[in-house]
Amino acid sequence: MDEQIALLNIKDILVVIVPSDPHDETITMLQEDVLEALQKNASNGVILDISTVEIMDSFFARTLMETSMMIKLMGGVTVIAGMQPSVAITTIELGLNFGDIVTVLDVDSSLEYLKDLL
Amino acid sequence: MNSELLEMMPIKSDGDIVRIRRRTRDLSKAQGFKLADVTRVVTAASELARNIYHYAQEGTVHCYALTEGRRKGIKLVFEDKGPGIEDIELVMEEGYSTGNSMGLGLPGAKRLVDKITIESEMGNGTKVEIIKWM
Amino acid sequence: MEVTIEEWNQRKVFANFTQDDVEALVGIKDKIRQKAEDVIDQLYVHMLEYPNLQEILYDESIILRLKGMQKRYFEQLFEGEYGEDYLENRLNIGRVHHRIGLEPSWYMGTYSHYIELIVPIIFETLNDTQEIQKTVLALIKIINLDQELAITTYLSAREEVIKEQSEEIMEISVPIIQVWEGIIAAPIIGTLDTSRTQLLMEKLLEGVVETKTRIVLLDITGVPSIDTATAQHIIDTINAVKLLGSEVVITGVSPAIAQTLVHLGIDLSGITTRSALAQGLKVALNKLNLELKAGQNG
Repeated sequence: MDEQIALLNIKDILVVIVPSDPHDETITMLQEDVLEALQKNASNGVILDISTVEIMDSFFARTLMETSMMIKLMGGVTVIAGMQPSVAITTIELGLNFGDIVTVLDVDSSLEYLKDLL
Repeated sequence: MNSELLEMMPIKSDGDIVRIRRRTRDLSKAQGFKLADVTRVVTAASELARNIYHYAQEGTVHCYALTEGRRKGIKLVFEDKGPGIEDIELVMEEGYSTGNSMGLGLPGAKRLVDKITIESEMGNGTKVEIIKWM
Repeated sequence: MEVTIEEWNQRKVFANFTQDDVEALVGIKDKIRQKAEDVIDQLYVHMLEYPNLQEILYDESIILRLKGMQKRYFEQLFEGEYGEDYLENRLNIGRVHHRIGLEPSWYMGTYSHYIELIVPIIFETLNDTQEIQKTVLALIKIINLDQELAITTYLSAREEVIKEQSEEIMEISVPIIQVWEGIIAAPIIGTLDTSRTQLLMEKLLEGVVETKTRIVLLDITGVPSIDTATAQHIIDTINAVKLLGSEVVITGVSPAIAQTLVHLGIDLSGITTRSALAQGLKVALNKLNLELKAGQNG
């Protein structure tokens, strides 16, 4: 199944390719995998690429938000990239707020943003 | 109003929630809903299915195609024999403002659909019905 | 289908079209078959006398096709089968008529002609006055039911056109314009109800993704008044755009709207607002410039 969570390292930035329709278990595992990789590679920035995600319910969104908070505690910065329009709409309609997390159009912009920041 | 049963799906596992999302997407697309509305229905279904899995461990969802005159719609009925909801009004309101895990499901789903009906009895289960018109 | 099989059955009950009527009509089926060709030809001679119809029936192939359909229609009246197939066939007649531009006012004439041509045949074929009466009444009932169906489909087709047109109007009323690289302007004209807001949100978000826009100028100069619901719709739209990584500047805030927003206690802090589109454009260009400069300094 395409439940693969791909993790790539580009210098000190961790790029996470989030699967398009993951099981709850996979979503939870994503959180663990990301934090572990962050520590192992001493990354300073994490890009969560959700460009293939078509449906994001509150569990998925909240887990991503929590992950970002955890990344911050470990000294990293999170950027969420590539949210699809329909996901953006339902997120707002669900009343979810991504708060301080930086969200950008695509991975390119994320790399630029992190480059400037870090 | 005409109601045609399209499919019945069990909610007993993590995998069932994913399957419900996929089938709901297929069924609402087939009914003719546009992408944004398909996303809304699927997201609402995911919320409600997960509620059942987490709080009642087991339940079912029935999906119906609706026709009223020339209007077409979709109806999903989620049922479980779980602990039930003590104060439905409170959950609808409170969950929304505090954003805690249980709460977000119902008020969130409400904003995504046209009509939501909740029947619940403590200790005797819950039935949530959502309807979206095209 | 414009009319469901259940509705059709209900209409038949309401018109008191019973098994007796079915039998009466089937009773003269054979005689009708013999006279079918004749009846249709007479019908067309009559129709071609009308100038309006002459215009539409200009082509030989159209006339042939219509005649074929009429013959089928005519024969089906007496075949004894008035269920789903019959229904679908009748509904199709209305659809075709709408497609070739024939209006209901013409239909009424045709059905009367049918009655005029068929009643003599009934009198010729049957001897018993009871029988004759039964059959004539059965004919009138089924012709009436058919008229209802033809009108229903015609009206449905018209409504479809109106629906498409209003959808088109809605689409046009939420224009998205690219005014600069990375900047798009979305002037909102008129009041924002729920469905227009959704349309605006969808179009705007798609536009942002497609053009890789960084800043959206949401211009509300054309919005006459604002209430809490409209304000909420606008805020929702802005939040959605932000999730895609873009920024929104609201322009066109008139004195009246400024007053309403404050009086209603609507919090727009965190969102840049200006009274004119031009000012908003300036803000946007500044922001982009600053980003450019920062990028160059690395």
